Amino acid sequence: MNNVKIDSIRKELLVEVSQETAFKVFTEKMDLWWPRTHHIGKSPMTELVLESKPRGRWYSRHEDGSEQDVGYVLTWDPYGLLVLAWQINGNFQFDPGLITEVEVFFIAEAPEVTRIKFEHKNMERLGGGKAVESMDEGWGKILDLYKNQTK
Amino acid sequence: MKKQPQSSYDKAFNALGDPTRRAIFEKLRVRPLAVVDIADGLPVSRPAVSQHLKVLKDARLIRVHREGTRNLCQIDTRGVLAMRNYLDNFWDIALSAFKQAAEKHKKHE
Repeated sequence: MNNVKIDSIRKELLVEVSQETAFKVFTEKMDLWWPRTHHIGKSPMTELVLESKPRGRWYSRHEDGSEQDVGYVLTWDPYGLLVLAWQINGNFQFDPGLITEVEVFFIAEAPEVTRIKFEHKNMERLGGGKAVESMDEGWGKILDLYKNQTK
Repeated sequence: MKKQPQSSYDKAFNALGDPTRRAIFEKLRVRPLAVVDIADGLPVSRPAVSQHLKVLKDARLIRVHREGTRNLCQIDTRGVLAMRNYLDNFWDIALSAFKQAAEKHKKHE
């Protein structure tokens, strides 16, 4: 097996809004930008919710009235840092025993420029050495759905 | 949510959308197995397993090759590794969607 061993994925970008706006849109308005089709629920997603508070829930709501957990807020530090627990494993299943961290720093570069430093960590926890592969299944799925949506 | 598969990834995603196929894929992630042994412990008939294996194979998630007298089935790392790039790409796209939303949001403030 020629496994790629990467235990985290890092991204960085500049957003031309204040640190506060960046943080608020990322958290309170996650539903605005998150691909509608990314969820592991049994019926179409109506909303993606991130409760804006320490230990706030992170979940999707569905047409059939059900809710599907994604994870929860590990660190709530407005407007500089957000850490979320991502608890969906590579088989599209919610696993309350699993914590991989999605860490997002919001760094004020200028009054209207914010640098986002993003890292999805602990991928090694996702499945005994095949972590990244299983993550890819999950995220790859999202990407494709996303592409189909934006066509 | 019916979509025409377009990429190998669509195929992989659709292939893993089925719980039985996910279970088979999981088993194979532990170790390669002879085709005849895959149905063991799964609530599924052997003919059905063959059908599932075909779907997984078409999605480049597994490979089947002859070893002596039996067909051995294992994870296709070429396909799985290809997915790694999707993960990276996904974050690029999701974060750029976030950037757009944030900058648009500001205009309306």
